[in-house]
Amino acid sequence: MSSVTLKGVRKSYGSLEVIKGVDLEIESKAFVVFVGPSGCGKSTLLRMIAGLEHITAGELEIGGRQMNDVDPSKRGIAMVFQSYALYPHMTVRENMGFALRFAGVAKEQIARQVDEAARILALEPLLDRVPKELSGGQRQRVAIGRAIVRKPEVFLFDEPLSNLDAELRVHMRIEIARLHKELKTTMVYVTHDQVEAMTLADTIVVLRDGVIEQVGKPLELYEDPANLFVAGFIGSPKMNLMAGVVTASGNGTVTVELIHQGKARLALPLTGAAPAVGSAVTIGVRPEHFGPAGAGGAEMSLNIDVAEHLGATSYIYANTRSGEQIIIEHEQSRLQGDQESITVSIDPARAYLFDDKGQRLR
Amino acid sequence: MAQARLARREHLTGWAFIAPALILLGLFMIYPIIWSLWMSFQVGKGMNFSFGGLANIERLTKDPVFLRALGNTFTFFIIQVPIMITLALLFAVALNDSTLRFRGLFRTAIFLPCVTSLIAYSTIFKSMFATDGVVNQALMAVHIIGSPIGWFTDPFWAKVVIIIAITWRWTGYNMIFYLAALQNIDRSIYEAARIDGVPAWARFRYLTIPMLKPVILFTTVISTIGTLQLFDEVYNFTAGNGGPSDSTLTLSLYIYNLTFKFMPSFGYSATVSWVIVVLVAILSFIQFLIARDRRTS
Amino acid sequence: MNVAPMTAAATARPIARRTVAPGKAWALARRALVYLLLSIAAFVSVFPFVWMMIGATNSSADIIKGKASIGTALITNATTFFTQIDAIRIFWNSAVIAGVATVLTLVVSSLAGYGFEMFRSRVRERIFALLLLMLSIPFAAMMVPLFVMFAQARLVNTFAAVILPTVASIFIIFYFRQATKAFPSELRDAAKIDGLKEWQIFFYVYMPVMRSTYAAATIIVFMTNWNNYLWPLIILQTAENKTITLIISALTSAYTPDYGMILFGTVLATLPTLIIFFLLQRRFVEGMLGAVK
Repeated sequence: MSSVTLKGVRKSYGSLEVIKGVDLEIESKAFVVFVGPSGCGKSTLLRMIAGLEHITAGELEIGGRQMNDVDPSKRGIAMVFQSYALYPHMTVRENMGFALRFAGVAKEQIARQVDEAARILALEPLLDRVPKELSGGQRQRVAIGRAIVRKPEVFLFDEPLSNLDAELRVHMRIEIARLHKELKTTMVYVTHDQVEAMTLADTIVVLRDGVIEQVGKPLELYEDPANLFVAGFIGSPKMNLMAGVVTASGNGTVTVELIHQGKARLALPLTGAAPAVGSAVTIGVRPEHFGPAGAGGAEMSLNIDVAEHLGATSYIYANTRSGEQIIIEHEQSRLQGDQESITVSIDPARAYLFDDKGQRLR
Repeated sequence: MAQARLARREHLTGWAFIAPALILLGLFMIYPIIWSLWMSFQVGKGMNFSFGGLANIERLTKDPVFLRALGNTFTFFIIQVPIMITLALLFAVALNDSTLRFRGLFRTAIFLPCVTSLIAYSTIFKSMFATDGVVNQALMAVHIIGSPIGWFTDPFWAKVVIIIAITWRWTGYNMIFYLAALQNIDRSIYEAARIDGVPAWARFRYLTIPMLKPVILFTTVISTIGTLQLFDEVYNFTAGNGGPSDSTLTLSLYIYNLTFKFMPSFGYSATVSWVIVVLVAILSFIQFLIARDRRTS
Repeated sequence: MNVAPMTAAATARPIARRTVAPGKAWALARRALVYLLLSIAAFVSVFPFVWMMIGATNSSADIIKGKASIGTALITNATTFFTQIDAIRIFWNSAVIAGVATVLTLVVSSLAGYGFEMFRSRVRERIFALLLLMLSIPFAAMMVPLFVMFAQARLVNTFAAVILPTVASIFIIFYFRQATKAFPSELRDAAKIDGLKEWQIFFYVYMPVMRSTYAAATIIVFMTNWNNYLWPLIILQTAENKTITLIISALTSAYTPDYGMILFGTVLATLPTLIIFFLLQRRFVEGMLGAVK
């Protein structure tokens, strides 16, 4: 199993640069997920690893070998595509053995490897069907099977679950996780769905505009985002971001006044350099981190706009007096039916502070 | 730079795929065209020719046969293309209705003429439109006409037969293009329009036509080219002379006659052929303009 | 395999069958009008075929009289036809010319259409635009230089001379490029990862996946070549090399054409295109569908 290393990798189409210098070390046997909004370059990056896009500048190594100029089929990778990209005119068996046929593998050997992959994915009954006769989930499994047959060092997944319905997606997600455990192969997985990223990854790479915003374990990103973008991107519903101004700082604390929240003040602990008094900052609070009124910290009273009851929890969409929307996760299953306002508190220990450039202040 | 090797290979592969076609086109199209352009400035008979400047163009303006052929070709184009396109569109829309019975049958039947062999259809038309042929007999039987029409002896009716024949043969062909395009249109657009109370004619006028515009433009241009190059039908229907008295002579037939029938005048016939090129270019351009105008208005 | 070309429409049928709102006489009248129009069109389209087949069984005199029933002269017509012309040879000529030209045209033009669509570059886009412009150049403008070229190469009166100029068809290149837009590029990516070279992708993946497109193109190209008239008329000069189209055309120009025999010949001459059409019909509309997006 191979590691994948990207050094200063860039990609441009003419004058348009879409990958702006990516350095990344993917360890052998890791499950790495590239996540980011559409157009962030995550798929391009994956396709560069696959050899489907040329690398404009920088270096790509797979298993310690420089791979910039190596043919896709000789990189020791296999790829699962969003549309599955199954050959429509071939049976499942032929689809899965196609690569081996062109690698000059003997027929019996191909049959053996196809059968083995089919067994792992429980595809045996489908081997003689053509893709048209399969359901979406089955096609997905065949696509994965086609990748397994080649015994790749690195698996590449390009949004493999986005064409499936919600239930199947969960099912396949679990199956992919199981597969990783079983095969112990390096996997690189692209998705725009942060739930997939959080549940599957050992390491998440958050990308935006062709630049890596943060690399880390799922919970690290969630608990300790490096910047506003990651803070806003990871977590659902999104972190609430509120504008503030520094009113005092020193002695390891900084006091921030929330501009739109009725001048609520919040004293946050800080170990690094403190921002100057008067500078603009952003305070981030996750919906689930609001405390009840009177729990200490800053208090805000909000007008309830809509409440969504999901059973175990409720999400309250509330507005501040100046109209900013705040999302609160409410542990009690239900609010009073006609309740129109709510008061919540912000625990300074669970609030995130970002400077005016969006960088996290710790 | 080693980095560029994959990119360069891809680039070369691109050329490799189109190379056979480009070589053949260069040899059998571009080279002859350039030659014919050069020839159009030459005067003389047979293989003895000399540079004549614009002499051939001058000759065009004074050549009554050429003007006749030009007029005929234009008449065919002006009348035949709109009729055919309209019919094809009409049939396509009718056949696109999924509640219609026997759709496949109708479609196949209307498309059939264009898979017939040229020779079958010209023979059939010739014998059907003979003075004592079925068409005259049928028309007389239902008392539309009192005496038989001389389809191939009357200059007017000879043109009519040609127009009927081309329309018969190519309407189904164009219809298939529209039918294919129509099936690509999302049905829910029409369902939405029906729910919005848009009447059928308005759905046709304001939904179908605009959405089919690229295909209509394409088929119109292709038909224009076809009609301006009209040769096969005329040659076969009139035993190669464009009669009666040149009333069905087309530019292509005239070029053929100039080259292979009379004492060959290569330079002059090349000039006549360039008249077609210019005409097609102008007409296609106008058709593009019309298509674009409608889009902006 | 098991694709019916009209499946999309066929499955849509039951849903749409609710139309014809109750009590709408106008809708019914319109519907009747549509059927009438289509029936007339279908009749007009098919009648000449029927007439041709009936004609092949009648004597020339009967045909001219407009006899519209099956006659007894079929055997006579056939005998005359086969004694007057070397039918086997002539059909062979037509078949070779149309067959070879169709295969070559499909390969060369689909390669180019695929190449233009899959490997974009500024220069190639310009060339493609130029080709589209050249679509408007009539064959008449090229036939004289072409004839002289082939004369110089001593290829007049050969099949090669008939076939070669038709092989790179701009129209078919354009058609394939349009159709290629519907070819999923992820298939090409998958094939690359599976270790196929570009030409292998073309032959092992593209061609089988696009077989409907090829079917539709086969009908169009075969039809064009089988019916090709002007160029063979010029370049084929001896009777034993001529195509069926040329030979029958010459028969009809006779002073007193024997229509019975000629119609028998036309039935034969029409068979190949008809057979190809009915064999590939199922894929035809599907193939056109991909090209007209």
